[in-house]
Amino acid sequence: MKRFWKEFAQGDIWVKGSCLIMGLGCIKRGQIVKGLMYLAAEVLYFLFFFGFGWKYLSHLLTLGENAQLKVWNEDLQIYQRVPGDNSMLILLFSVLTVAVTVIFICLWVINLKSASHLYQLEKAGKEIPSLQQDASSLLNDRFHITLLSAPMTTLILFTVLPIIFMILIAFTNFDANHQPPGNLFTWTGMQNVTDIFLGNETKTRTFMGILGWTIVWAIFATFTNYIFGMILAIIINNKLVRLKKMWRTWFMIPIAIPQFVSLLLISRALEPSGAINVALMKLGWIKTPLPFLTDVTLSRIVVIVINMWIGIPYTMMTFSGVLMNVPEELYESASIDGAGPIRRFMSITLPYMVFVTAPATITTFVGNINNFNVIYLLTAGGPASLDYYQAGKTDLLVTWLYKLTVDQHDYALASTIGIFIFMIVSVCSLTVYNRTGAVKKEDMFQ
Amino acid sequence: MKKLVAVLLAVILCCTAFAAFADDITLKVWDGQDDQELLKELCEAYAAAHPENNYTFQYGVVGTADASARYLEDPAAAADVFVYPDDQLIRLAMADALYEVTRNHDEIVAANSQGSVNAATYKGTLLGYPMTADNGYFLFYDKSVLTEEDVKTLDGILAAAEKAGKQFNFDVANGWYLASFFLGNGCTITLDEDGKQVCDFNNEKGLEAAKAVAALCAHPAFLPGDQNILTGTIGDTVCAGVCGTWVADAIKERLGDNYAAAKLPTFTVNGEQVQMGSFGGCKILGVNTQSSYPIEAMNLAEFLTSEESQLRRFEVRGYGPSNINAAKSEAIASDPALSALAAQSDYAVTQLIIGDFWTPATAFGNALIADPTVDIQPLLDQWVAQTIGQ
Repeated sequence: MKRFWKEFAQGDIWVKGSCLIMGLGCIKRGQIVKGLMYLAAEVLYFLFFFGFGWKYLSHLLTLGENAQLKVWNEDLQIYQRVPGDNSMLILLFSVLTVAVTVIFICLWVINLKSASHLYQLEKAGKEIPSLQQDASSLLNDRFHITLLSAPMTTLILFTVLPIIFMILIAFTNFDANHQPPGNLFTWTGMQNVTDIFLGNETKTRTFMGILGWTIVWAIFATFTNYIFGMILAIIINNKLVRLKKMWRTWFMIPIAIPQFVSLLLISRALEPSGAINVALMKLGWIKTPLPFLTDVTLSRIVVIVINMWIGIPYTMMTFSGVLMNVPEELYESASIDGAGPIRRFMSITLPYMVFVTAPATITTFVGNINNFNVIYLLTAGGPASLDYYQAGKTDLLVTWLYKLTVDQHDYALASTIGIFIFMIVSVCSLTVYNRTGAVKKEDMFQ
Repeated sequence: MKKLVAVLLAVILCCTAFAAFADDITLKVWDGQDDQELLKELCEAYAAAHPENNYTFQYGVVGTADASARYLEDPAAAADVFVYPDDQLIRLAMADALYEVTRNHDEIVAANSQGSVNAATYKGTLLGYPMTADNGYFLFYDKSVLTEEDVKTLDGILAAAEKAGKQFNFDVANGWYLASFFLGNGCTITLDEDGKQVCDFNNEKGLEAAKAVAALCAHPAFLPGDQNILTGTIGDTVCAGVCGTWVADAIKERLGDNYAAAKLPTFTVNGEQVQMGSFGGCKILGVNTQSSYPIEAMNLAEFLTSEESQLRRFEVRGYGPSNINAAKSEAIASDPALSALAAQSDYAVTQLIIGDFWTPATAFGNALIADPTVDIQPLLDQWVAQTIGQ
């Protein structure tokens, strides 16, 4: 940076003129096409900014002042509408305009750099690279730029900008009562965050309660699958078990049915007059239907158990693959040294499996924190609770977020919760991931 | 600012003036998947009746349940004329999505039933053209088990059902149905002048209603569960249930000749019989404020909700008309479900609810199902506090 300023300060009038008219330095030193491209970019940017961007950016601080107006039209006998501002479009296009401006500033700096660079070259009496040489350098020493420019552009346009837009919504009051074009929304600062943690007792209780259950759920959902899948795989892979392929196929059947189908069917079967309760009553085991979906503890157990039914086949498959890859010599030599089955399991099989599957388990854990399908399709977050704000006792943060967005249209609060989910998930996974053996001892795995 | 408004108005005036003289008018119309054919038929009839303009219709498949959500995604790209249920009215009104019905206002109000006009009105302004008046609930029952005398009272239904070893289904865990006890006993849920929710379900009357619900939940012949339970079990283990016209065909199929419907029963409060209330809703045609052809869109909406169109809608789709003359026709009067709904409509109120009511209502219903002996007052207080947003 320092060198850039020094070179820039040494530059002649053409270099300094490039500040105002981009590409001037290039044109002067004979890089006509490149210079014209800079100039065209500048013209395009200003056309975009004053023709489109400023219209929205100028309202960014208030997110619009005038809602749609009604004016009586005597001739037509209707209330005609005068279009007003639209907070959502203002926010959306302001983000776009700021992003384009940042890109333009980068381009402007590059333009200045190349102008002073060319000046230095000329002063030193060196050859000025032609357009062809510049272009061919994009295929050689600057090939990474050629390769990454398309993915980077799409990434910024379709991932980064929408995320910034969503994050900004968390600092507004965009909800059912503030729907453009009739009612505008505006900035409320940290209101939503303080609502969750301090201001609003019900919302605080809901957030904390749901967060607690989300973590409990994620731990149980992950490790029940892990442990039972492992046990199942070990049993099937045991030398004494015959018809291994048949058993494996049998246990894989739950995968064959699409997950949402089986979840919805089970949800129906668990109703008070559903198949399971009717069967139990006809058998005479119970007198009244069991409240599978309406009792807090029972419904929590139910989702964990059903999740096992759905998840164990996958872990069984993974562990079968791992087990088949444990070198047989290890077991043989351990047997020769006098190790029993338990000892062999504890010292060979278990470490081997944990080592290989740790990263996948973290992914599963994170996936379970956001496990929308199982919860929403099975219990829809229910049983609903009078203690909670628009949530039930098996709701995860992500299903609560869904309800707030789709049913309550409380976009701002939902966006705030979304940010917290992201923080929790990323902190969890990064810390644990970096501590796993598979990452720390990457080179040791043979 | 005033000048700006004036200029803008002038521009809009010019635009609409041009539009009025232009031959080609494109109108976008939304309705549900099953109603598309009828919609096309009626729109074409409208175009044929108005040869002065050259109409092109763009039909969109947007069911009533999604109407406001799809509208608010992008109001400018939404339909000029679209169908929405009355419970989405407030949300759409807040987003200033709907043109007021100002042209032919008095004729439209006079032609449609009071309940449907009320349902399409927000803060004293009629915001749409009532199209159907069948978005309410009533009692379906099995004639072979229950007599007409039995279904007059809740106690009668439960007693007869228990005697026959059958059950009575009522979706206590759904605020829409649950409210019928409270509304019947004189409680109200409505909006005040500022558009804030007010609800008095936790007063003395509400407590009495809630006790009646608890008594229902404690009864051995009571079966909780939603409409899927009802349509799956009626005629088998269930002899009666509360639901709306949308399940009428399914229930008719299961019960055959024993199919019958009636208004909601009365329930017992302090030894006296009290008629259950209900929410009476309707489907409404709205005209988008972002429409380029508001006048034409309004004319089309008026045509689509006229007496003839409503009769045709009943013939093809079985929807109960909001039009008073259409509702008097013989075919409709002889339909058991629609006449039961009409009988119930005397006790129905317009649903003025803005969102936070439903989830706590479900929680309250579930709490009573789980334990009918629970201390009700604190639950009522919590429910109301959540509903009015405290």
